[in-house]
Amino acid sequence: MDSVISLENVGKVYRNGGVDTPALSSINLKIGKGDFASIMGPSGSGKSTLLHIIGALDKPSSGKVIIDGKEVSKLKEPEIAKLRGEKIGFVFQFFNLYPTLTALENVELPMVIAGKEKKERVKRAKELLEMVGLKEKANSFPSQLSGGQKQRVAIARALANNPLFVLADEPTGNLDSKSGKDIIDILENLNKKEGKTVVIITHDQSIASHSKHIIRIEDGRIVGGAK
Amino acid sequence: MRIEDIFRMSLNTILSRKLRSGLTILGIVMGVAAVIALVSIGQGLQESVNQQLSSLGGNLVLITPGSERATQGFGFAGGFGGQNSKTLTDSDLRIIKIIPGILYATGVVSGSVSLEYNSQKSESRAQGVEPGVWELVQSVDLESGRFLSKSDPNGVVIGNRVAHSLFKKEVGINSQIKINNKIFHVVGILKSTGGFIGGSGDNSVIISKTSADDINLVSSGEKDSYSTIYVKTTEGSDTETVSGYIQDRLRSNHHVSEQNQDFTINTSKTIQARVGTIIGTITLFLGGIAAISLFVGGVGIANTMFTSVMERTKEIGVLKSLGMANSDILRMILVESALLGLMGGAIGVFFGTLASSIISSIGGISPAAGPLAGRAVGTYVSLEMVLFALLFSVCVGAVSGLFPARRAANLQPVEALRYE
Ligand SMILES: Nc1ncnc2c1ncn2[C@@H]1O[C@H](COP(=O)(O)OP(=O)(O)OP(=O)(O)O)[C@@H](O)[C@H]1O
Ligand SMILES: [Mg+2]
Repeated sequence: MDSVISLENVGKVYRNGGVDTPALSSINLKIGKGDFASIMGPSGSGKSTLLHIIGALDKPSSGKVIIDGKEVSKLKEPEIAKLRGEKIGFVFQFFNLYPTLTALENVELPMVIAGKEKKERVKRAKELLEMVGLKEKANSFPSQLSGGQKQRVAIARALANNPLFVLADEPTGNLDSKSGKDIIDILENLNKKEGKTVVIITHDQSIASHSKHIIRIEDGRIVGGAK
Repeated sequence: MRIEDIFRMSLNTILSRKLRSGLTILGIVMGVAAVIALVSIGQGLQESVNQQLSSLGGNLVLITPGSERATQGFGFAGGFGGQNSKTLTDSDLRIIKIIPGILYATGVVSGSVSLEYNSQKSESRAQGVEPGVWELVQSVDLESGRFLSKSDPNGVVIGNRVAHSLFKKEVGINSQIKINNKIFHVVGILKSTGGFIGGSGDNSVIISKTSADDINLVSSGEKDSYSTIYVKTTEGSDTETVSGYIQDRLRSNHHVSEQNQDFTINTSKTIQARVGTIIGTITLFLGGIAAISLFVGGVGIANTMFTSVMERTKEIGVLKSLGMANSDILRMILVESALLGLMGGAIGVFFGTLASSIISSIGGISPAAGPLAGRAVGTYVSLEMVLFALLFSVCVGAVSGLFPARRAANLQPVEALRYE
């Protein structure tokens, strides 16, 4: 299997005013195309840190991160930005929608940043909103949406540039179980029907049980499940 | 990212936070409005003075009694100046008249008088002049009637305001008006000059030197002394050279030297230079005040811009997580702050122009004394000024945005996202 994400001996130490907090050490990890991977572990074990590094939102302190065959640390800032925008779709626990843009405009945003044309953007954004079942909320602002709706907009946005993989950090952490299930269904469908690679952090054993691949982390180290 | 999308994002930020944007540009609005309004006063002064001076002609020399310092730099205001030292005499005038290069030379006396017309009393200034010559050295036109002639000892030419607004009833040609209780016939009415140079105010009356003596315009001891001697030089002669001759002759006639010179000579050129300096100072002073307020406005915009970008750190993190490059974030914030500056500048220009036209329509500033006495000063907003204000505002905006924009652009996405 082709690996779209590959981590070699990755370590991360947070440095805050002379205090070093080790968050990850000697992480070796490969995630293949079409994979559905769950990252599990206790709070503070380094799950988010790992996902941020995979998503090129943060830099590792040591080791190599290879995404789509490119070593991230060797890329210049604009290329890393392009990588984030076009190859990676990020879904956050707290949605992180852009507050002054409507749902439709939020879904358009990654395409705006990628320099796509208006007509093409709107068409794609509408399709995606329809896919997540929010066609009628296209012109609502984030403040007018429920948590579950916001997260569905966020997923649609993550898919806007048809990324290589989707990373989701506890996407159901702030939702009731019904909305949470809807979100998981959408992600599972993406994986099953479109073969989209998905990496998800979750505390929910039942979600994990659907995964092809479970990565368990404790104290910044992978303790099981890594292939 | 497309440039039009960068503008769209910037505009979205500005328009979706109207209150914040309004507060951000408030300082620049007020600063620019102040600059436009204040500088327009200075430029208005300059404009009106330039007009006055060009109507005066280049070959006029004015001699007034007293040293330059004693007359506080406004010695040329002749008829209005209340000099005590009446040191210019008939003998001076005779000496001047024989200097080569002089076309006319004439003396004028002036003083305050009481007027009475249609049983209504008023105060005014009167000038006793030499009929037939005075009008040739003055650059004043008649609205109606004629100038004084030697044959009508009791004729008077009245200033425009005396004719039309000093008394309840209009004073027309051939009306009778009492000056210091003596009856005079109005033979001419002067055009409104707004004039402050040459002592021909709209508020004064012009009578012959002989009648001036009759009504005791000046005390009897000063009967043969002048408030001003006007000299017009011939076409081909150099006014500055002629004024140099006049100075030499008068010094020797008065037995004075440069140190204790008891008269002042002004030519069109020296008047122009002096008025120019005064107005330059006024404009500089007004401009200085305005510049301070503009600077304060600039600090204000920088301050709010900084807070505003700080507050949006998380959103900037979101944009980064969606692939926005540092350079685009920098551009977006710079465009935003430059647009804010432009809006502030445009609104400021609007209010400044409004204030300026209000100032000029309520009659403007009428200095009680000096060369502009009694004159309503118009204001003048120049295109250059407006363009400068707009350009300046845009720059202030952009510079204010630069620091927070760089800071925001260089943050790691996770750090920005963590910001609360
Ligand atoms: N910015 C930071 N500065 C310093 N230490 C940090 C920072 N971010 C995270 N850490 C530390 O790194 C470790 C891993 O944090 P991380 O957020 O990855 O945990 P997590 O597994 O996602 O936990 P949770 O399940 O609670 O979200 C923790 O000990 C945390 O305190
Ligand atoms: Mg976490």
